[in-house]
Amino acid sequence: MTTTASAREPVATSPAPARKRAGARFLRPEARNGLLLVLPAFLLFVLFRFGPAIAGGILSFTDYTLGGETEWTGLANFERLVHDDRFWDSLRVTVVYSLLAVPGSIIVSVAMAMLVRRTFRGVRLFRSIFFLPVVTSLVLAGIIFTWIFSEDGPWSSLLRAVGFEGGSWLADSVLVLPALVVVSIWTRFGYGMLIVLARLQDIPRELEEAAHVDGAGPWQTFRHIILPQLKPALFFLGVLETTVAFQAFDTIWVMTGGGPGRASRTLVIELYDQGFRNFDQDYAATIGVALFVMTLIVALIQRLIMGRDK
Amino acid sequence: MSGLRKAGRATVLFLAAVVTLFPFYAMLVLSFKPIGPVTLPGSLLPGGLSLEAYEQVLGTASLARWLLNTAVYAIVSVVGVLALSMLAGYAFAKKRFPGKETMFWSFVAMLMVPYHVTLIPLFILIADWGGVDTYWGLIIPTLANAQAVFLMRQFISTLPDELFEAARLDGCGELRILWSLVLPLTKPILATLGVFVFLWHWNDYLWPLVIGQSEEMRTLTVGIASLQAERVPLNVVMAGSVVAFVPIFMAYLIGQRYFVEGVTTTGMKG
Repeated sequence: MTTTASAREPVATSPAPARKRAGARFLRPEARNGLLLVLPAFLLFVLFRFGPAIAGGILSFTDYTLGGETEWTGLANFERLVHDDRFWDSLRVTVVYSLLAVPGSIIVSVAMAMLVRRTFRGVRLFRSIFFLPVVTSLVLAGIIFTWIFSEDGPWSSLLRAVGFEGGSWLADSVLVLPALVVVSIWTRFGYGMLIVLARLQDIPRELEEAAHVDGAGPWQTFRHIILPQLKPALFFLGVLETTVAFQAFDTIWVMTGGGPGRASRTLVIELYDQGFRNFDQDYAATIGVALFVMTLIVALIQRLIMGRDK
Repeated sequence: MSGLRKAGRATVLFLAAVVTLFPFYAMLVLSFKPIGPVTLPGSLLPGGLSLEAYEQVLGTASLARWLLNTAVYAIVSVVGVLALSMLAGYAFAKKRFPGKETMFWSFVAMLMVPYHVTLIPLFILIADWGGVDTYWGLIIPTLANAQAVFLMRQFISTLPDELFEAARLDGCGELRILWSLVLPLTKPILATLGVFVFLWHWNDYLWPLVIGQSEEMRTLTVGIASLQAERVPLNVVMAGSVVAFVPIFMAYLIGQRYFVEGVTTTGMKG
């Protein structure tokens, strides 16, 4: 997910006279060694990543049951998908969740980065604290937050104490997504903070000082000087966080299992459920294809936006 | 900066730190409370130290086995991914061979495909080969790590070609070059990548969930999530969570530098 750097870098280690011996030895030693070195990784990759990705596409055109016959059914799975209210429901949930989680975590990331960007006593400790949730397993985060949001957990108790009635957010079909978004922000903002921090350190100090001399307040300086400079970092974060949000599974599965009702049933939860509980694996693969298409569309949109800016 | 703004910033920072740390604090405190109903705010105050929850989670649950499974999964994967990606990254960066561009770009292209697209077919494949509930079924597919190969290639490309040519002129064979040139030179990226691959596998949930179906083959994440689902008392679940978290926390304390570098240089999933 880093920069897709050019592959056209110089690779030559020796000039090219070896070709004339190609007939005799079949391959130059360099080529043979190179292939031998790549082969283990590449074979595993073909077998366990590339192959399954292709197979996933094929599977969505078939009727498949584990251990049974596989039958080519053309677009039947996609027809079912289009007419499946559950699918559209889970797509909607995924989009709403992402629309809340992505801006949420980016805003918190930027805010925290601004707070810890200057060095002061203990700044490293604060940075470490804010990054700690990122290294925590999502399952553990899910478990702890399930309790925090539970009927008699701290969050509900706090709300009751200040006069709000009502039970656990996780049991409320409207509030469940905001609760899950809070967890997602908690688990992600430390990462975004470091990305923004790295970019902030590259912004020349003079820019801000000049703005200050011209009488700009802190908010104006941030809005007109810092924010434009952060654009590349924010774009990178936007792409990454969208992917993460689309594919969210662990915390949601642990905390709500997709409930209450279908209120937090995202695409990946639906995929897992169809594939590993209903054992409807061809249909699950079709949902996977839909997820892929969705990812492509978002990548394309983001590409277009970035292209327009340049 | 004025004193007032300084104080304001300090307050906000302090509050943010408290909010960030609260879940860890709750996990720790609850794990040391005697097993029983959790009432607020009393249950969150320190005191009443009890090891009951730990005794129960270590005694009744297969926690030791889950810990072992997780360690095997994480450590074997780290060694495998590092070795494979170092070899492949070196070849992609410094060798010419037929099919190189195609292979490399197919690696890169796969970074765009969501993991879940491959999940079902991958499971079918492993199930067909009898890999469900086995270590190899759990581990082998995760050795195909395109991102690691990509990062190793990027890193090794920055090493000067002359180094390798000189070694070759001195009569070094390929193995010797790998061992005494590539390995020491890639140490920084190996450490960073290693920390992240370890973290990723230690915390991984979905793949172990579908592959480890019996209780003996669960990893910590799968096992502890199952404790929660089985309505085991909260204190016991929290004790299990602490056991799962401590190794990650230790690794974080020791290797913080690598975590930070890992984020800023690799953009690796955290």
